[in-house]
Amino acid sequence: MPRTRPHHLLRAALVARPLLVAALALLLVAGGFAARSGVSWYRAAHDDSAAYAVERDNALSAGEQSVQNLNTLDHNSLERGLDLWESSTTGELHSQLVAGRAKFEEQVRQAKTVSTAKVLSGAVTELDDRAGRARVLIALRVTVRAPGGEASDKDSRMLGELTRTEGHWKLSALGQAPVGDTSAD
Amino acid sequence: MSVWEGIGRVVKVAEGEAVTTETEAVGESGAVEESGDTDAPDRPPARSRRRRFLLGGVTVVLVLAGAGLLVKAQELRAAPAAANHALTDTEATTRVNGDVSSALAKIFSYTPDGTGATGRSARELLGGRAARQYTQLFAQVRERVAEQRVTLTTQSVRSGVVSLDGDSAQVLVFLDQTARRGDHKPVTSAAQLSVTARLRGDHWQIVDIKAR
Repeated sequence: MPRTRPHHLLRAALVARPLLVAALALLLVAGGFAARSGVSWYRAAHDDSAAYAVERDNALSAGEQSVQNLNTLDHNSLERGLDLWESSTTGELHSQLVAGRAKFEEQVRQAKTVSTAKVLSGAVTELDDRAGRARVLIALRVTVRAPGGEASDKDSRMLGELTRTEGHWKLSALGQAPVGDTSAD
Repeated sequence: MSVWEGIGRVVKVAEGEAVTTETEAVGESGAVEESGDTDAPDRPPARSRRRRFLLGGVTVVLVLAGAGLLVKAQELRAAPAAANHALTDTEATTRVNGDVSSALAKIFSYTPDGTGATGRSARELLGGRAARQYTQLFAQVRERVAEQRVTLTTQSVRSGVVSLDGDSAQVLVFLDQTARRGDHKPVTSAAQLSVTARLRGDHWQIVDIKAR
């Protein structure tokens, strides 16, 4: 007896149960579609560079906010302003602020200044996602209002270092980018 | 990739699978008899109907699940964070930083007798609005530079890529500019610039500069 050829088999099935064959084919297509979509979703959901990008944006927004906080102070609400300074920082910078708080408070109370800050632009230059360390560049405009005097604007370029503590990015170091110092580290 | 393109591609793959299944069925003896069996008129209609519902139901569920997953995947990929390749694409990030920094150093550095060379490199390194602004500014400065023997040296101190998406990038650059007038002592000042750059061939060209 000759072997049943595939196209004979298919033809027989088509003649006998055309709807069943069509339905099975459709099922197969649907299965393939679902499988492909599943793989596509899994890849997107477990994309390391996407997670890294999210962390970069987290670090930048925390960095910009913290730098703004640390350049904002109203002599009328010193307590609140300095509490915000402390909650925006961690590590060495935090310790320095805590240690110098009383002295600084006295200075601002006497000068009666109101400082506000606006971030003009910011960028993350380094990000170690695992260690929880990042460096940011921030262009900042600080407006200082002294009693009786005019408000004065000062643009500054800041270099910040951020450390992730308990899931939050906080400033651990902050300084002005030095002028005339060509040795960029 | 749009959602529909994705589906189209999936269907093609699934068709390919269907063909292989048919050929696999060759060796199975009794396959024809079985399909003949299901056609028997004395077969209980309830069982056939249940099977039909099951088949249709599973197909619908698979299609819905597939569509849902595809939409989720698209959402994840289109997230603003993922679309910005600053730092995630380290090679491109280094490239933009380098090209923009060296371009700024070139166009904002000149000697009293070398303004021609500066202007020439600017034509190559700048485009769009930045080129127009620079041409205007440089025309004003040029005479004074020769007259007062001014030398300007610009160096990029630090730069960071704010956003990087395909052939377009935003870069924040901190510059040091040292100016020397005649025999006077040089004066160094700081500048912050927001630069928009576009990839032209294998080089990033500056198309807009904003002082910060």
